[in-house]
Amino acid sequence: MSIRIVDVHKSFGEKHILRGVSLEIEPGECFFIIGASGVGKSVIIKHLIGLLRPDKGELYVEGVEVSKLSEKELYPVRMKCAMVFQNSTLFDSMTCAENVALPLRKHRGMSMNEALKEANERLAAVRMERFADAKPAELGDGMQKRVAIARALTLDPSIVLFDEPTTSLDPVSARRTDALIRELCDRYGVTAIVVSHDLTSIFSIADRIAMLYNGTVRLLGTQQDFKTTDDEVVRQFIEGRAEGPMQL
Amino acid sequence: MGPYERGELMAGPDGALLAFPRFLGERVLALASQVGGVGILLKDVLVRLSPSQIDRLELFRNLGRMGVKSVPIISATAAFTGGIMVIQAAPFVQQFQAEAFIGWAATFTTFRELGPLLIALIFNGRVGANNTAELGTMKVTDQVDALRALSIDPVSYLVVPRILAMVSMMVVLCVIGDAVALGGAVLTADLLLDVSPNLFLSSAVERLEVWDFGLGLVKSLLFGLMIALMSCYYGLATKGGAPGVGRAVNASVVASASGVFIVDYLLTFIL
Ligand SMILES: Nc1ncnc2c1ncn2[C@@H]1O[C@H](COP(=O)(O)OP(=O)(O)OP(=O)(O)O)[C@@H](O)[C@H]1O
Ligand SMILES: [Mg+2]
Repeated sequence: MSIRIVDVHKSFGEKHILRGVSLEIEPGECFFIIGASGVGKSVIIKHLIGLLRPDKGELYVEGVEVSKLSEKELYPVRMKCAMVFQNSTLFDSMTCAENVALPLRKHRGMSMNEALKEANERLAAVRMERFADAKPAELGDGMQKRVAIARALTLDPSIVLFDEPTTSLDPVSARRTDALIRELCDRYGVTAIVVSHDLTSIFSIADRIAMLYNGTVRLLGTQQDFKTTDDEVVRQFIEGRAEGPMQL
Repeated sequence: MGPYERGELMAGPDGALLAFPRFLGERVLALASQVGGVGILLKDVLVRLSPSQIDRLELFRNLGRMGVKSVPIISATAAFTGGIMVIQAAPFVQQFQAEAFIGWAATFTTFRELGPLLIALIFNGRVGANNTAELGTMKVTDQVDALRALSIDPVSYLVVPRILAMVSMMVVLCVIGDAVALGGAVLTADLLLDVSPNLFLSSAVERLEVWDFGLGLVKSLLFGLMIALMSCYYGLATKGGAPGVGRAVNASVVASASGVFIVDYLLTFIL
């Protein structure tokens, strides 16, 4: 078992966002989490690396219960479990290459020059090597996101959390990102957890999908399960209909 | 809704009577949590001060942009301060023919008090405010969480180099400021009072003690620490998007300036 989430609850003030979410994710799986805006998709994956703490429940990452670890104890977990944030979060005082070089410099003990050299190779994998010396503010959202993916992958994590990796990407880059994620799973055995609204990604690369609704898992299953479900809420979501039983 | 309005919402005289103590209580609690927060930050910084943990690149980057780039404005302030001290003293010097004292009189207050204080206030406005805005923006755009997600400790990586840079640069800027202020004073005395640079300098050198200069440096160091801690604390405590960054900068500048005056008062009293 790569990841196990057991009955996680989380509120912010009055807002009860997660009301008992349980999921199990296998090693090497490409697992999608879908659901309407504000349902708590970002919240749940932030729990996995201890950026948020549950009010109740347990989260296991490769067997380690992370919800009660101290910040320092979380560092080894975060080296194995990388995250690409929803809004790419590149450090804007640095160039793209320096962004990617930072984890190498900090954790691989590389000098700046060695790290930059490797960073350029990493940027090439997401076809961003031409922008190595650009500052993030000079790039569009989609390009920033690709750099952020390169940065998250520098330490060769065994689990990667992608928060909407294809949102704001053009269709071609989006499909390339899908291919990259699938390749990570198939070739390198990485466990990928992808939060996404992108139906094309979902129905091309997902092994399993969980749909969150009203703070719990509404449906968990394969692409086929989602295509053939009778659940009207799920149908409305994946068919993208404005009218239906779904409450937002 | 301000605390007073909340009090008024409660019916009857009780509500109105309670409003003020409640307001006071809330302010005291807020202040206590901020003082506590700054204290915790100081502790977090101190336990991370081993040389191997310090990110040299960040340190040098901050030394450059916080220190080197402050030299022009600090020099301008210092030159005028030195000159102004002489102009202020001029009527008395002429009245009592105390040309032999002017060098000492102008430099004594500048070195001990005005120099460090004015430099600190300008440093607060230029570097402290900038620092809070930068950290605050990083916080509200999740860049601080991104560091944590990369297993990089934000205090080690962001705060420690900034604090070291700000403290050391305040001391260096104070030395530069003292030198420039002396130049400004010599020049003004020469032009305005016809006191020769020689006479001015010998009066300063004879009567000034090393400690007058040293006290200024000690003050600068503590002012620098104050500004550094406050600006990092308020930066990292920022919440609520762009307006939050604005509020944080505001709070940081006010708190640092108040802190500088309090430290100055206590130090002048003790030392
Ligand atoms: N740190 C926080 N403090 C307070 N509320 C928060 C915090 N983080 C998230 N929330 C709230 O939790 C809810 C869920 O947020 P989340 O970002 O997980 O949504 P999401 O499912 O990722 O939506 P989207 O598709 O828009 O990204 C939102 O209402 C948000 O306001
Ligand atoms: Mg989200």
